[in-house]
Amino acid sequence: MNKILLIIKREYFSRVKKKSFIVMTFLTPLLIAGIYGLIGYFTYTGIKDTHDKIGVVSANKTLTTKLTSSKNVDYKYLNQSLDDAKLALAKEDYDYILYLPEFTLNEPKGIELFGKKQAGLSINRRISDDLEEIIRNQKLQESGISQGDLDKLKTNVDIETKKITADTGKEESSSAGASTIIAFIAGVLMFMFIMLYGIQVMRGVIEEKTSRIIEVMISSVKPFQLMMGKIIGIALVGLTQFVLWIVLTFTISTVVATVFIDKEDVKKVANTATAKNELATGTDAVSTAQGPLADIQKSLAGLEVGKIVTVFIFFFLGGYLFYSALYAAIGSAVDSETETQQFMMPVMMPLLLGYALSLSVVTNDPYGDIAFWISMIPFTSPIAMVVRLPYGVPAWELALSMAILVAGFVLTVWVASRIYRVGILMYGKKTTFKEMFKWFTYKN
Amino acid sequence: MLSVKNIIKEYAKHRALDDVSIEIERGKIFGLLGPNGAGKTSLIRIITQITAPDSGEVIFNGQRLNSDHISQIGYLPEERGLYKKMEIGEQVLYLSKLKGLNTADATKRIKFWFEKLEMADWWNKKVEDLSKGMQQKVQFVATVLHQPELIILDEPFSGFDPVNADIIKNEILDLNKQGATFIFSTHRMESVEELCDSIALINKSKKILDGSVDEIKASYRNNTYWIAYEGDFDLNAKADIFSVLQHEVAKGVNQVKITLQPGKSANNVLEALLPYVNIHRLDEVIPTMNDIFIDKVKGKHHE
Repeated sequence: MNKILLIIKREYFSRVKKKSFIVMTFLTPLLIAGIYGLIGYFTYTGIKDTHDKIGVVSANKTLTTKLTSSKNVDYKYLNQSLDDAKLALAKEDYDYILYLPEFTLNEPKGIELFGKKQAGLSINRRISDDLEEIIRNQKLQESGISQGDLDKLKTNVDIETKKITADTGKEESSSAGASTIIAFIAGVLMFMFIMLYGIQVMRGVIEEKTSRIIEVMISSVKPFQLMMGKIIGIALVGLTQFVLWIVLTFTISTVVATVFIDKEDVKKVANTATAKNELATGTDAVSTAQGPLADIQKSLAGLEVGKIVTVFIFFFLGGYLFYSALYAAIGSAVDSETETQQFMMPVMMPLLLGYALSLSVVTNDPYGDIAFWISMIPFTSPIAMVVRLPYGVPAWELALSMAILVAGFVLTVWVASRIYRVGILMYGKKTTFKEMFKWFTYKN
Repeated sequence: MLSVKNIIKEYAKHRALDDVSIEIERGKIFGLLGPNGAGKTSLIRIITQITAPDSGEVIFNGQRLNSDHISQIGYLPEERGLYKKMEIGEQVLYLSKLKGLNTADATKRIKFWFEKLEMADWWNKKVEDLSKGMQQKVQFVATVLHQPELIILDEPFSGFDPVNADIIKNEILDLNKQGATFIFSTHRMESVEELCDSIALINKSKKILDGSVDEIKASYRNNTYWIAYEGDFDLNAKADIFSVLQHEVAKGVNQVKITLQPGKSANNVLEALLPYVNIHRLDEVIPTMNDIFIDKVKGKHHE
C-alpha cells in the first residue's frame, strides 16, 4: 500500500510540475472567461452601435418616410437622384444606398442595394424584413385596420419552463436553454477529460516500457501496484485540473462580468433604445440584453450546481478508471505509440458514440429510451449521464448507473491488469488481440 | 543462500526453463551463463519475483521466496532504463524508497555513492542529459543502494568504457568483500574468469553444467602441455611418456604441444628432457571458460 502511495506521488507531482500542465490549467479558464467576456461585450455593444447607415433613394411615394431606424439600421432619406447618390457614396458616411423604385404593393420589384462593400446576408434580411412589415401594414390599413389596432396586435411571448420532480412534486424553475448549455459543457468536458487523461495513462505505460525502467520497477513492486499507482496518480492530476478550472473560471468570470456588464450599463442601453425607437423594438432590446444573463442565473439556482459538480466528479472518476485501465492494457501491449492505432479504435468507438449520441439524441430527448440505455451502459454512461443530469434524472436511475459503472471499472481494471502484467515484459513482437487474450488467461 | 529447485516455466508454446536447479552460496559471485535465448532472463525474472514459475520453488535464506525478500534483492537488468524527464537524485531516491528505504537514509546513501563514483554534481541533472555510460552508473547505484544481500547483474559491463568498467568491477569486488552475494549473468567469458567463484551454464532451457570455476576448468584439463626448449632431441623416443600433437621451430626454439600418457606427470616429461635440452618453459594447456562454453553449447547442438 505504501508503495502504491509512492507511485501515486511520483505520477502526480511529475505531471503537476510540468510547464504544460500549469499553462493549460491557468490559460483555459482565462480563455473561457475571455470568451464569456467577449459574448457579454458584444451583446452590450451590439445594441448600442453596430448598425449600418443606409441612404434611401425612393422613387416610391408609398414608402417615402416609412422606413424607421432601429437598433441595427439607420435609414436616411436622400433627396437625390440615384445616380447622384451613387457618385456621392464614397464621400458620404453611410454604408449603403437603398433604391426603392415605383411598384405596386402586390408586386414589389426592382429594389436594389448598393454598398461600399458587399452587403451581408443579415443586412439584406433586415431591410427586407423592414420593407415587408411596412408593406404588410400598408395593406392591412388599406383593408381598413387602424394603426392603433395594429399596435395592439403586437405581443411578446416568453415561456418560462418549469419541471415537476417526481420525488418531491416540487415545481422547479428551469430553463431549457440553460440546461442544454450546461449539458453540452458537461458532455464535452467529460469526453475531453476521459480522452486526455486516459491517453496520458497509455503514454505513461509506453514510456516506462520503452525506457526499459519497467523491469527495475516491477522487481520492486507488483505490476498491479504500478498500474493502479499510475492510474490513480493521473486521476488526481485530472481532478486538480478540474477543480482549479472551476474555481478559476468562476473567479475570473465574476470579475469579467462585473467589469464589462454591470447592471447600470444594461439599463442605460435599454432606456436609450426605448427612447429612440418604437416601443416594440425597444422592449426587444431590453429582453435580449437581460435574457441570457437572467436566464442562466435563474436556472443555475434551479439546477443545483453542487449536485451537478459532485455527480460530474463521480462519473469522471468512474469513466476515467473504466477507460484508463483499457488504455493501460493497450500501452502495455505495444512498443511505441505508433503501434497503438489498431487497439485504440475499439476503445475510442464507444466513447465517441456515447459523445455523439449524448449531444444529439439525449439533449433532444433526455428521457427517451436511448438516453436511458446509454446512460446505463458503462462505456457511454459517464458522458450520457452528465448530459442528462441538468434536465433532471430520477434518483434510482442515477444510483443504478453509478453502481453499474463501479462494477464496470472493477471488471476492466481486473482484465487490464492481467494483460498488463504480461504485456509490459514483451518486446519486439507485434501484438494481436488473440495474443492479448492469451496473456489474459496466463496463470501468473 | 539461494536454492533454485526444479524450476519449470512455460510460455505459450515453448518451455523457457526445464527442470533447472542451482545452488548459490552466501558471499560468492555466481555466474549464470548461456547463449542468447537460453533462459537466463527467465530464471532471473523468477528470482526477482517478476514472474512465478509453473512448478518448482526458490528458497531464499531458508524461506520460500516471497515479497518480503524484495528489499533484500537488487537487480540490474540487461536492458537498462530510467525515467528520462526525472532528475537523477530524485529518481534514485524514488527507486530506493520503493525498496523500502526511508528518505533520510536513502539521501545519505545516495550522497555517499555519488561522491564515491564522482557524480556528486549530477543530482539535479535529468537522465536525458546524461551519456549512456553515465546512466549506467546511476543505475548501478540504484541497484546497490538499499544494501541488498543478493545483487543480480545482467551484463553489467555492457555500455561501459574500460575505465568505468574497471571502477564498477572494483565496486562489485568491494561489495562482495562486505558480504554481498552476486548473480552475474553474462556471455563475456573473460569477466567470468576474473570474477566468478562458480557458474551454471544454461542452454536451450536446461542446465547443462555447474560447479566452481576452478573445478570445472580442472575437469576440462586433458593433460596437454606446451613445452619450449633449445637443443636436439628425438621426441618420439619418449613415446611411453607423451605423444606429440604439434611441433614448430622458430628462431632455434622448439615449440611442442604434447599429451601425457596415462599415469604420467609433467615431472616425468622434465626428467626425460632435462639431460638433453635447455628448457624455456612448460605450460599446461588449460581450457578457458570461453572454450568450455563453446564446447558445451556446440556439443549440445551436435547431439
